[in-house]
Amino acid sequence: MADNNGTIKNDIKIEVKNLNFYYGNYNLLKNINLFFKKNSVCTIIGPSGCGKSTFLRTLNRMNDYTEDTKLTGEVLIDGKNIYNRSVDVVELRRNIGMVFQTPNPFPKSIFDNVAFGLKIHGIKNKEFIAERVEKCLKYAALFDEVKDTLYKPAFSLSGGQQQRLCIARAIATNPSVLLMDEPTAYLDPMSTGIILDLITSFKKYYTVVVVSHNIQQAARVADYSGFFLSGELIEFDNAGDFFTRPKDKRTENYITSRF
Amino acid sequence: MNEPDKNKIDKEDFHLNFPINKGYIKRRKIYNNIAFILAVVAFIIGGFPVFHIVYSAFIVGYKYLNWHFISTLPTGFPIGAQGGILNAIVGDLYLIVIASCLALPLGIGSGFYLSLFGKKGINSIIRLLNELMVGIPSVVWGVMGFYVLSTNAGLGFHFGFSALAGGLTLGFIMTPIITLLTEQAVNRIPASYIEGALSMGATKWQATKSVVVKAAMGGIFTGILLGVLNIIGQTAPLLFTNYYNTGMPTGITGPGGAVGDLAMLIFIYIHEPSRILHYKAEAASFVLLFFVFALDIGMRLITRLTVKIFEFF
Ligand SMILES: Nc1ncnc2c1ncn2[C@@H]1O[C@H](COP(=O)(O)OP(=O)(O)OP(=O)(O)O)[C@@H](O)[C@H]1O
Ligand SMILES: [Mg+2]
Repeated sequence: MADNNGTIKNDIKIEVKNLNFYYGNYNLLKNINLFFKKNSVCTIIGPSGCGKSTFLRTLNRMNDYTEDTKLTGEVLIDGKNIYNRSVDVVELRRNIGMVFQTPNPFPKSIFDNVAFGLKIHGIKNKEFIAERVEKCLKYAALFDEVKDTLYKPAFSLSGGQQQRLCIARAIATNPSVLLMDEPTAYLDPMSTGIILDLITSFKKYYTVVVVSHNIQQAARVADYSGFFLSGELIEFDNAGDFFTRPKDKRTENYITSRF
Repeated sequence: MNEPDKNKIDKEDFHLNFPINKGYIKRRKIYNNIAFILAVVAFIIGGFPVFHIVYSAFIVGYKYLNWHFISTLPTGFPIGAQGGILNAIVGDLYLIVIASCLALPLGIGSGFYLSLFGKKGINSIIRLLNELMVGIPSVVWGVMGFYVLSTNAGLGFHFGFSALAGGLTLGFIMTPIITLLTEQAVNRIPASYIEGALSMGATKWQATKSVVVKAAMGGIFTGILLGVLNIIGQTAPLLFTNYYNTGMPTGITGPGGAVGDLAMLIFIYIHEPSRILHYKAEAASFVLLFFVFALDIGMRLITRLTVKIFEFF
């Protein structure tokens, strides 16, 4: 589709500049430069342990809570560096939904898991909350399975159901960016298909960044894709070129070995 | 087959009609700051007495805080006017060791039993009894200790006013605390830890010691620490089971079996009209506080060491 260089800056939602990330003295992410466009899906692929999750967490400052880490460089969201001192982290995260690699529902009921985000942002209208929770669960293709057990603890759900619950939870507050760390890791092909369609339909409203181990799935939803290898961004391109004509030999090897 | 229509939602509406409560978003920042300020205030209010105790104990008692004070027995008239508090320090060690011999196996054992084995119905009764035991006033334990352990009349063990009678009574006070914290510590371990170990082919004991004990160790030692701290502050139970010895014990039961004790020493010295004894009571309080501090640090080290030892088996 559109080429990624000639476009005006306004199209860019997230821009990462010279990003370095350290665990202690270990420089994990090395000089990352890339950008995510508005209303697009970008997939991040790469072997296990290459730093995909860490990278994703730098985009909403979740690494702030990991001890003994250091970050240099910039992450601009809507043109503003989120690592500026003046940035309100709470406000920032309200705008960025996140689905973690391992499902992490709260020790609350299914309903309250989804309603949580609404409540902490000051929505009190019970009817609206109930309606919104139902919509979110339908959106995440979970409603049918849980409609009779909405008030049971979320931990009673299966792994895949918990993952979909976390997706429902993440979209409840209508963020403009959605970060998803292997959202289909626990899912069967049917639900995977539903979630992939969901991701595609998200892009009308969100900027979506998805980490995936499954190259077919990544190719199916991606507008852009990036390949990480031991903390370096080897290649970043629009999905068409990335998956069919990768420029770097290492990207090609990685992609083809999995197909 | 479900009708597909029922699960369709209006996505346009979902994304575009989301209310933002700007007022609340502003207010919650204020709440956040208020919560922070309250936490600081609570810390100051809660911390003040502690600082005051440490400060006043030191200011009043500092001239006695020397090696002589902790290494000699009290002498003079009234007893304690000269000499130190060695009797009480040694006595406390006696009492802690004896109480722990009873409370550790009993407390940790029942804690593990409650959380890992047993039936639900019985467990909830045991748990209730245990919580009841935590709430029994220590003076009642003292009376129990007197009738069952100390007194030489009637049924019972006829231990006399002694370290054994006092220590065991304190042990009964300590047990339910340790049980409670052990059970909670074990319950807090996610089932996936144990399942993970079992799935590797670990025996139940291997899973318990390598995963459960390790993960629960911190909580168990907190229980032991709380138990010990609780009993070294007790005087009421000792009034009926050990009372106080100004010298060294010659045994742990019968005549000569009684020991000194810091809390009792402070209690007794404060009741004397002599100024010197009041100062010495403050100095002894400081020693007791230091004892508590050292115990806390020591426990942390022991926790680490014990984890290593357990891994060995
Ligand atoms: N809290 C931490 N402290 C120290 N090192 C860490 C920490 N978290 C991750 N790492 C290290 O950083 C590297 C990258 O981890 P990360 O979780 O980002 O990998 P990943 O690409 O998401 O892998 P996967 O595909 O398996 O999820 C790993 O080598 C890991 O050991
Ligand atoms: Mg990861």
